[in-house]
Amino acid sequence: MEELLSPLTSVSRRLHTSDPSDEDYDKQIRDLIIFLKDPGRASDISAVSGYALDKLDPSSHSLSYLFLLLHQINSTQFENKDLRPFDPTGALWPKIVRFLTSFDPFQIRYAGHEWRQLVELTVQSAQAVSKPLLAVPVIRDAILRLDPSSGVLTSIHITFIKLCLMSRSYSYALPILEKQICHFPTATSQTYQKHHKSILCGELEPSITFVTDSSGFSTKLTYRDYLQYFFCGAMIYMALKKWDKALHHLNIVICSPVTNAVSKIMVEGYKKWILVSLLACGKPIPSQSITSSHVMKVYQSLAQPYTTLADAFGKCDLQRLKVEVEAALSVWRMDNNTGLVYQVVDAFQKRTTLKLGKTFSALAVADVARHLPGRLSSLREVESFVASLVMCGTLDAVLLHLRDYSDSTMLRFSGTAKSRFLQENNVQGRILQECQSLRAMGKAVRDVNRGLELSNENFLFLQKCLKWSDNSGKGGINALEQTEGGFDLDEDIMGDIH
Amino acid sequence: MDLPPLSKEQLVAVLTSSRSPTELYDTLAKYETTACLIDGKESELLSLYYSIFFFSHLLTDQIYEARAMTQRVPPILAHNDPSLQNCLTLLRAVWQRKYDSVYKILRELPWPEPLRLAVESYDKYFQQKTLREVSNAYEAIRPGAAAGYLGLDPVAAEQGDPALIQQFTAAGWTWDAQAKLLHPKPIPVSPKKDAQIQNELSQIMALVGKYQG
Repeated sequence: MEELLSPLTSVSRRLHTSDPSDEDYDKQIRDLIIFLKDPGRASDISAVSGYALDKLDPSSHSLSYLFLLLHQINSTQFENKDLRPFDPTGALWPKIVRFLTSFDPFQIRYAGHEWRQLVELTVQSAQAVSKPLLAVPVIRDAILRLDPSSGVLTSIHITFIKLCLMSRSYSYALPILEKQICHFPTATSQTYQKHHKSILCGELEPSITFVTDSSGFSTKLTYRDYLQYFFCGAMIYMALKKWDKALHHLNIVICSPVTNAVSKIMVEGYKKWILVSLLACGKPIPSQSITSSHVMKVYQSLAQPYTTLADAFGKCDLQRLKVEVEAALSVWRMDNNTGLVYQVVDAFQKRTTLKLGKTFSALAVADVARHLPGRLSSLREVESFVASLVMCGTLDAVLLHLRDYSDSTMLRFSGTAKSRFLQENNVQGRILQECQSLRAMGKAVRDVNRGLELSNENFLFLQKCLKWSDNSGKGGINALEQTEGGFDLDEDIMGDIH
Repeated sequence: MDLPPLSKEQLVAVLTSSRSPTELYDTLAKYETTACLIDGKESELLSLYYSIFFFSHLLTDQIYEARAMTQRVPPILAHNDPSLQNCLTLLRAVWQRKYDSVYKILRELPWPEPLRLAVESYDKYFQQKTLREVSNAYEAIRPGAAAGYLGLDPVAAEQGDPALIQQFTAAGWTWDAQAKLLHPKPIPVSPKKDAQIQNELSQIMALVGKYQG
């Protein structure tokens, strides 16, 4: 047993990234993987897995620990003749949780298939006992541990978001959902990748270098997976009533490029997008210009009751709105949108009150009541409704009780000092958000640019450019630099005619 | 780091030792998977855990998350446990901004002894939050209405009870005895500061200053 422990502990977490050097560490890890994957040693490793798991530290000897865990799960399955991987109340579960929340990400970059296998088994185990929540914080920590930027979309992201929806643990999803997804796992078919093997354990290596289509961290993603991630993300934001973010995620779904048929997820996304736009902006918003006209036609024909409802809302016609809601009850129910539709009806009064601010600078609550159709019967109810809007900051106004009790409370819109303060606050918040997004996107663009410069397509393009420049007597060019600097390729194509 | 096992004593210790509501929420969130695995027979422990966790949501203004959390409680426990039933009633009142009901639920419903600290903390927190909101929402307010918002005696306030009026004036409000109206003083909410953006803005301003002259 002890003699097997020695190779298993040959690689441990580096305390300083320079000791050993990246090259040496890379070699050590690759040697350990060869040892761990050696079919001749599988039975030996499996035999000591239980003992070794107690001896090894998952945060330091992560790679060995991962393989041992998988051996242990396999042998448990074999012994119990049970395909279900492990019971969350059993002895293995705490070890798996400890590993997934504390592993060394640099070592695990070399074992994508095994890491994903363990994550998927964890999810299945939690689902098998109808307690999906058990896996939620563990998977979230594992994703962020592997790639703190969480910028590459993987199949684990999609599994995780669905798990959050299923377990109604919406806020647990936010640390992942709020990261900017900038890449899909990169294709490894490029020629330069055959000649240039990056050192995966390098501290500064971006996540696209180790989350690739062959690394095993993700199954092959389809168009449907991509749409599902953002659709489910929007659902989570809707549950938390973060309408702006839900709208953003739905925008990504409905504006996704299509070649022929529009997918069902996109149509469902469009239906929700109409309702959420009413809740987020208080009015129907024009569709995005990047959506092609034929897609828009499909959307509009399939979401007719929704567009009619939005029209009634936009025209401030409560009676028509109610009629439309009643008329299409079965549609809302079938689309699972009943809750959203009722929230839209509730939002109608809020919207009407906010609109009053565009016409009046001040008015009595009794006058507000006259403009508010619907269920608020007494003046007292109207006042408490208006006060709640002012107090939660939705309505930019102040209330004023008067000396005489018979006089109605006054509502004064746009307290300038207050609104300036709120605006500044709002702008500062948005600047912060944009700053973070730009920082993440800037880094992603640099990474993508580097990949594009070395891609097969770019080399073909450069070859063509060289031919053209030879013909026209011009010197060699760097196509990307030229195009960035405003170089007009059409003119260059015509160069040999001059 | 491994958490100490979940027990009533540990929950009380977490509740009393947490330095902020966020810390309380974070610690309790880490226990949720443990709570998930606890046998339904230990209903007293589960009830206490979910009740304190519920209050930690309210104390950190996560009302929608609080609602989602109540949906994660095992259904049998949620329907039968009086403490969790009280939590649901409270959630409804907070959601609907029924101020008098909120204070009534917090002060008059029977809460288990280990939960008292959380209930009292939320009473105080809700009162302070509402004071801030009323200060920003009203230019002038009748004492009875103000007292209703803050869970004080509206009748005594309407009659100009000096002790109650003094509570308002202590918050910077002024009392117009002749008109019998209180004039709240707006309480600005300081925006969160981001060190990096502050540094970047300082650098930009320094550059502007350098090239201006």
